[in-house]
Amino acid sequence: MPERSANGVCLAIEGLTKRFGGFYALNELSMQVATGHIHALIGPNGAGKTTFFNLVTGVLPADKGRIVFEGEVVDDARPSKRTLRGIARTFQNIRLFPHLTVLETVMIGAHCRAFPSVVGALGKAVLQPPFGEAGEERTMREHALELLSFLGLASQQDAKASDLPYGEQRKLEMARALATQPRLLLLDEPAAGMNPHETLELDETIKKIRDRGITVVLVEHDMRLVMEISDRITVLNFGTRIADGVPNEIQSNPAVIEAYLGEDVKL
Amino acid sequence: MFEGLLDGYTRSLLIFAGINVIAAYSFYAPFKTGQVSLGQAGFMAVGAYTAAILTQKFGMPFAVALVAGGAVAGVVGVAVGFPALRIKGIYLLLLTLGFAEIVSVIVLSWDYVGGAQGFRKIPFNRYTLDYVIVIILVLLMLFARLERSSLGRAMDSIHQDETAAEAMGIDVVRIKLLAFGLGAVIAGLAGALYAHHATYMDSTTFNVMMGIEILMFVVVGGGSTFLGPLVGAAVLNMIPEILRALRDWLELVPVAWTNFFPMNRVYDFLHDFLDFENAKRLIAYGIILIIMMIVRPDGLVTRDSLRRLAPARWKAKHA
Repeated sequence: MPERSANGVCLAIEGLTKRFGGFYALNELSMQVATGHIHALIGPNGAGKTTFFNLVTGVLPADKGRIVFEGEVVDDARPSKRTLRGIARTFQNIRLFPHLTVLETVMIGAHCRAFPSVVGALGKAVLQPPFGEAGEERTMREHALELLSFLGLASQQDAKASDLPYGEQRKLEMARALATQPRLLLLDEPAAGMNPHETLELDETIKKIRDRGITVVLVEHDMRLVMEISDRITVLNFGTRIADGVPNEIQSNPAVIEAYLGEDVKL
Repeated sequence: MFEGLLDGYTRSLLIFAGINVIAAYSFYAPFKTGQVSLGQAGFMAVGAYTAAILTQKFGMPFAVALVAGGAVAGVVGVAVGFPALRIKGIYLLLLTLGFAEIVSVIVLSWDYVGGAQGFRKIPFNRYTLDYVIVIILVLLMLFARLERSSLGRAMDSIHQDETAAEAMGIDVVRIKLLAFGLGAVIAGLAGALYAHHATYMDSTTFNVMMGIEILMFVVVGGGSTFLGPLVGAAVLNMIPEILRALRDWLELVPVAWTNFFPMNRVYDFLHDFLDFENAKRLIAYGIILIIMMIVRPDGLVTRDSLRRLAPARWKAKHA
């Protein structure tokens, strides 16, 4: 995987602000995510973590500030264009396509790489061979199957996405996001709804994703997971950054312990 | 085609059924991306009037007028499709309904196309049935291929969760516009065919009821596969014929069996009920729809029913 970054910075956030009415979900947030890192974003509920994801992926427009991905400002790009540039995400409240199969779901992620232009996709659809599979279709299917076995879902490929248990739906969301071939992956509470055994597996999965050369930003409430795998942690509270550092620094940071975890909590 | 085989009545029946099938596909195209339009009759009107002006006022051949009707409807479709991108569900329904109303008011007040008198003496096209059959075959091939393609799958994903599809890199804006424009083109073709078979139309021809009927074809047939609109339009168009056949059959019942109470009442009720021409036809239609929605809410043809019908060899290959 070629190194595509501006001075090792994958994602730079400058003065990002988002208001909902009078409520500041994010207030002048600035932070940097280094290329190749697993970077965790933690903070109490309502601290602005999911809003951060929505702004970075373009699902919501920012009120102020800049989002710089690999040295390029992406503020004005629609979500699909940001995905094409290499930003992919999963959703906290799982958003799968209920009537598609597991395999088809992952192939949706692969669509934007196989068919970047709609006209081209229409041409291929109309002119496809009447029997058998078009070449692109086979490539997409193989790529999707590879990702499904990477996440341990290969045996479920023909199940309906909505029939999977909760933990596997989260894995499927990760497979779908990976199929877009991202260089930055935003995971919104990937461990929610997983049992302890699945969460342990998730440790390895996320590390393996990083080892594929993908920078990972992680929002998670499972502190064991966060402390175990993160290269760096940013702590948010009320839409602003209150701490930033490696896991050991965060664990012993009194401001974090007081503001986020309450007093006298041992990590 | 079929010159000697069909009497005029059957021929006309097939033509109107065929035009309805085409209209059903004009609804199906935007519906595949989750856009529900009640305004397809409006696009039919655009295509019908464009084509009729070209043939009647400028003496152009029907084939040219047909293509022009589809093209102009498509351009109007993309123009309507842009504002339609931003709104969903019931609001999109109202927007498309409003569009169809605007078209009918323009037609009503435009004296060049007859105004309130209606557009008369449109050249009759002898080959409408041939055109209808060819267009339906092309549409079936197009939508069958779309269904097996990555673009078709992308459309399904937009239908099911637009935000998630956009986040996965699917160009939701362009694909929805494409689908809406394609639906308008198909509606324009259906309108042009209609005008040159009926030879007369006015501002009430392509009305709200027609828009609702087009929607019903797809709802009854099933909107999840490309065969649904065909089956839905065919079945709903056959209902009057089926009722007529049942009534003929009913009339064969010996009078001696039904000329006493209460059988005479039952006979009279059934006889009226099966008469699709009288006002009770709406009751029959309504009852059939209600039963449909209870028994098969996803339509007559669904993906699962197709899967069950598929031959075993195909299943083994694609399972």
